[in-house]
Amino acid sequence: MEQIVKKQKQASGSGVDPITLSVVRGILETTQREMTLSLEKTARSSVFNLAHDYSTALFNATPEMILQGQDIPIHLGSLIPAMKVVSAYFGDDIHEGDLILHNDPAYGGSHAIDTCMYKPVFYKGELVYWTVCKGHLTDIGGPVPAGYNPDAKEIYAECLRIPPVKIWDRGKPRNDVLNLLLTNMRARRDQEGDFNALIGACQVGERNLIRMLDKYGKEQVDTCIEELLVMAERQMRTLIRSVPDGTYEGTAVLEDAGHGFGDFDITAKVTIKEDNCHIEISSPPQVPYFINSYEGNSYSGVYLGLMMFAQLPPPYNEGLYRCVSVNMGPKGTLCNAKEPAPHMNCTTTPMETLTDAVRLAFEKAMPSKVAASWGHANGLNIAGWDRRHDEEYVTMVLATIISGAGATPQQDGWHACGPECCFGALTSGDVELLEHSYPIVIHRYSLMTDSGGAGLYRGGSGTAWEVEPLDGDMTFIMFGEGRRIPALGAAGAESEMAETKVGRLELKRDGKVETIRNNTIGVIKPGETVTNMNPGGGGYGDPRKRPVEKVAADIRLGLVSLEGARRDYGVVIEDEKSLKVDLEATRKLRAA
Amino acid sequence: MNSKYRLGIDAGGTFTDFVLAEQAGGSRLYKTLSTPADPTLAIRNGLALIAEDLDVALEEIIPNCDLCINGTTVGLNALIQHKGARTGLICTAGHEDSIEIRNGHKEDGYRYDAEYPPAVMLVPRNLRKGVRERVLSNGTVRTPMEEEDVRAACRDFIEEGIETIAISFVWSVLHPDHERRAAEIVREMMPDALVTIGSELYPQVREYTRTSTAITNAYLAPILKNYVTAVDAYFRSLGARAPVRYFQSNGGLATGDVVADRSVYAINSGPASAPRAGLHVTEPFDEKNVIIVDMGGTSFDITLTYEGVTNLNKNIDFLRYRIGVPMIQVETLGAGGGSIGWIDDMGLLQMGPQSAGSDPGPACYGRGGVEPTTTDVNLVLGYLNPDGLVGGRLPLDKTNAENAIRGRIAEPLGLSLEKAAYGMFTIVNANMVNGIRRVSIERGYDPRDFVLVCAGGATGAHITAIAREMGIDRIIVPKLASGLCAFGQIISDVKYNHMATCPVRLDNEEAYERVNALFRQIEQEGREHLHKDGFADDRIRITRSLEMRYVGQVHECTVDVETFDIDAQTVEQLKDAFHRRHKQLYTYSEPKNTVEVVNIESTLYGIVDKPSDARLSSGGGADSALKGTRMAIFSREGEHTRTPIYDGRKLGAGDRIEGPAIIEEVTTTIVVEPGWTAELHESGSYVISAKR
Repeated sequence: MEQIVKKQKQASGSGVDPITLSVVRGILETTQREMTLSLEKTARSSVFNLAHDYSTALFNATPEMILQGQDIPIHLGSLIPAMKVVSAYFGDDIHEGDLILHNDPAYGGSHAIDTCMYKPVFYKGELVYWTVCKGHLTDIGGPVPAGYNPDAKEIYAECLRIPPVKIWDRGKPRNDVLNLLLTNMRARRDQEGDFNALIGACQVGERNLIRMLDKYGKEQVDTCIEELLVMAERQMRTLIRSVPDGTYEGTAVLEDAGHGFGDFDITAKVTIKEDNCHIEISSPPQVPYFINSYEGNSYSGVYLGLMMFAQLPPPYNEGLYRCVSVNMGPKGTLCNAKEPAPHMNCTTTPMETLTDAVRLAFEKAMPSKVAASWGHANGLNIAGWDRRHDEEYVTMVLATIISGAGATPQQDGWHACGPECCFGALTSGDVELLEHSYPIVIHRYSLMTDSGGAGLYRGGSGTAWEVEPLDGDMTFIMFGEGRRIPALGAAGAESEMAETKVGRLELKRDGKVETIRNNTIGVIKPGETVTNMNPGGGGYGDPRKRPVEKVAADIRLGLVSLEGARRDYGVVIEDEKSLKVDLEATRKLRAA
Repeated sequence: MNSKYRLGIDAGGTFTDFVLAEQAGGSRLYKTLSTPADPTLAIRNGLALIAEDLDVALEEIIPNCDLCINGTTVGLNALIQHKGARTGLICTAGHEDSIEIRNGHKEDGYRYDAEYPPAVMLVPRNLRKGVRERVLSNGTVRTPMEEEDVRAACRDFIEEGIETIAISFVWSVLHPDHERRAAEIVREMMPDALVTIGSELYPQVREYTRTSTAITNAYLAPILKNYVTAVDAYFRSLGARAPVRYFQSNGGLATGDVVADRSVYAINSGPASAPRAGLHVTEPFDEKNVIIVDMGGTSFDITLTYEGVTNLNKNIDFLRYRIGVPMIQVETLGAGGGSIGWIDDMGLLQMGPQSAGSDPGPACYGRGGVEPTTTDVNLVLGYLNPDGLVGGRLPLDKTNAENAIRGRIAEPLGLSLEKAAYGMFTIVNANMVNGIRRVSIERGYDPRDFVLVCAGGATGAHITAIAREMGIDRIIVPKLASGLCAFGQIISDVKYNHMATCPVRLDNEEAYERVNALFRQIEQEGREHLHKDGFADDRIRITRSLEMRYVGQVHECTVDVETFDIDAQTVEQLKDAFHRRHKQLYTYSEPKNTVEVVNIESTLYGIVDKPSDARLSSGGGADSALKGTRMAIFSREGEHTRTPIYDGRKLGAGDRIEGPAIIEEVTTTIVVEPGWTAELHESGSYVISAKR
């Protein structure tokens, strides 16, 4: 009771009418959701419309982020530095009817295939808000379809770089500029459609915000927005205050996925003092391989690690980070890259390792909140010629990066809702919609036996996706990591049978199966297939303490094999048909 | 024989409501306790009650009804409790896991905690059997079906005791032969099993949605089949003239064989009739923006109608299961009269979602319930008449209620009985307000632009408190509130959705003819069905919609159109409608780009005559209905206020009552808080307004 009364008092403490405050919050959230929906429904790229690899946000005139939707965490917070850079770049030269496009990481972007659209919203002649959205295009020019070029030594060999540029000037499209950009991209019709979708989403946002101002007045709305920022700040400060003061360090390993420079450590040092939090990242010098992360993207990695720990309820806005400062380490390092570092893989690699490092540091601070890592992304881009419509196709296949989730102190990990950097926000897209969009047949999309990390609580199962091109050669481009080191277990969870828990690619050709673990570009023909296999999540606790009946149930469901039961869990099955457990042998094996 | 009555029966979690409408006007409402273990028992009990009240044999009443209509929760309950039938899936090999991968998605943002486990699988992995077969996206067969795989699956199913089977193959929607042949084999090997065929139930593109819809249907089919068989037989034995109609989640009626076959259409039927009823009762007040809240014994259902249109959902997650077929959008919370108050680990007071249900029910029912519930709270606050509910038919024991609240809540929290009771009242209201917020504010509607309509027996005690919290200043409480959903059902039409998939680009005559032919085909099927139901062509109404998009897009937008044939001229009309809709939704259109059709749908209505409305005669002032006073509590401090009690039956049109006051109708109690005024309108609804 007392708590309820307190809550009511808090809400009305600012002098804002609590109903109007709720209404404004609701309209902002609805605005953002409608922008998201608009992107999803209108986009041509399957990475947008099926996989939800986009995000939308609203900024005030400052510009300070006043709402980020619960879209994909890879983009979490990365719009904050980008928006500030874009606004500063144009300074006073921002007018009603302008639309700004940008993708370049050196100007606060994440990876260049994520293209951002910024629309300044004017009300009664005054700049009041920005509606912003960002989405993963299917192609952004450069030597390799879909942007991921493992052979690039410099960013110039990756893609077309777009610094902040006006594509509309005072309500008038700059067709020459648009033509310049689109001429440099593959599958032009799709990219053009996606530009339209981004513009439409910004306009949907603008329409809702103006309606809100008409109804509630700017002054009242601004008061409400400030109150929402303060509420988020208060939430984060309360949480940070609950963490004992001190400095905590977490280190995670970034595995060598084919570049030959060896494994790297990424370390996060988290210092808590009262209700403030400082995070310092150290990473090795940048490398001539596409796994460098510029500062904007690294912010997302750090914020995601923080939010996975914090588990705060929405709304999410910049107020959350008012008590958080971050030092990404010296310029020219892996997590604070500078030109000309190549970077395209950065939203998954090294971001997931960076996220792990931050989360591990927080777990040291509060061990009771420990949970296992989720499977890291390793997936495919595909490209080729679509004879059905006589046009080129190119796309990232997000179905291929759906990995298993980590186990927690209370439950098994969810199957198939990773990777870590997406935290379940991604969707794989329906098999029929993918086959409708591209000339392929998907032979298999399934969970994988023995892929979940062993533990008292088991990690979630990863997925396998097998594809064959239907009418011509298809190029496949691998990206990611997590093909040698399984997702980190927690509280003593370790898998004996590690080989089935990591990512890999199987190429089936002429009756032979070849397993590939390095990021590779290849070509297959009709009659040949590649199967991308994604890692499961990490387990929690000692697998030998997992109740035998749970192991038996997993065997029955095909999630664990007889061999996996023996090696990972020390459970011996008497007979394959009845799945009867040999209790005596199990006891002996578990004691050993 | 001219029929005299129409009967509506709406089963809820706690009560089953009966509305008997006279064709000449006027409705009677009856209630019995629901009997979830045998839902037909509640129907028998209720009909006995009607016979007793009218002093006429049932065999005289039922044949005198032109229609008997039933909204049932048997499907919903089975899905909530995961007590459906043991189900098997036959699917394309390699795609057995699509319903467990669930598009790789976690619904709830950044949440990942112990209270949020993965969805329970209706068909466990070992009962999902892959069959070697494959159809491609152009409808051609890549791999013919291995019939032996189907037979092997059936052998396993027989061994496992499976009684119902879903069959769903990739691209079956373009080439249904494999599914049909597999169904033949299943029927031959398992003659008693029920079979759901994906491409027949939901003939639309999207394998995951289709498979999930088929599985849910299969899971519920045996349960609904048993239920409608029992109900149909009972009504036949009473001499019913027409087959019983069942209410569906799409907001329309269907016959029992349809519901048994397409059980997924019945999963949320109860609250789906609320919008129809809500628009009916607000019609005299010219309100088209209506939020309807319905608090029964177990749950609290919210529906929202904006400018006369209620949202239909398609392809959504319902109770975490992806359902393709259209359903009226309903937000449901575990907040009802039976919701239990408890203290959580952090020492915070909570209400629900657990419910005492109808057995044992709230402590005050005196049936052995010891947990304090919302009903106990309303009794202790003085809102409910201690002599009992439903006109004394359900006596209440105030001492039991006080003991439950004192022992479980007041003493552990160190509060007085009154303060604890009011705190519980506040929390249950806050839960309901949050639910209303989700359907209004979170979807961009300002609740203050709406009128609140009160439905359900338990809502009246909370309605002014909820409106106060939401900033809504006008409430409509029909005298029939408690049976409003049953009433909505008897004024609804028969409604069937017929769908087909038809992916063509709208740039050639051949495409137009394909769409026309498909519309004609599904509408012919629909008409034949309605003819068999006794609807002549002049009683059939058809609306069409097409799901369209620009070439290259993957998601469609739905365009409602008149029933016309598409040709070189009318196609422009169609395309224009699409461009307009696209622009309205997304701010832009691409008039130069090619448009394609993906799915089509015809909704067929069998128009049912509506009973006439009765008018109340004018009253002679509220004083004549004053039956006494009772002490009631309206504030956190818990002080008692002497509050006048009015007998709703004695009030007439135009009578006004100032709050604080309590109006007792036979099946509902309305609390008019201080600061509100109630006026009875001749249409039989109270209009309760906030004082300005």
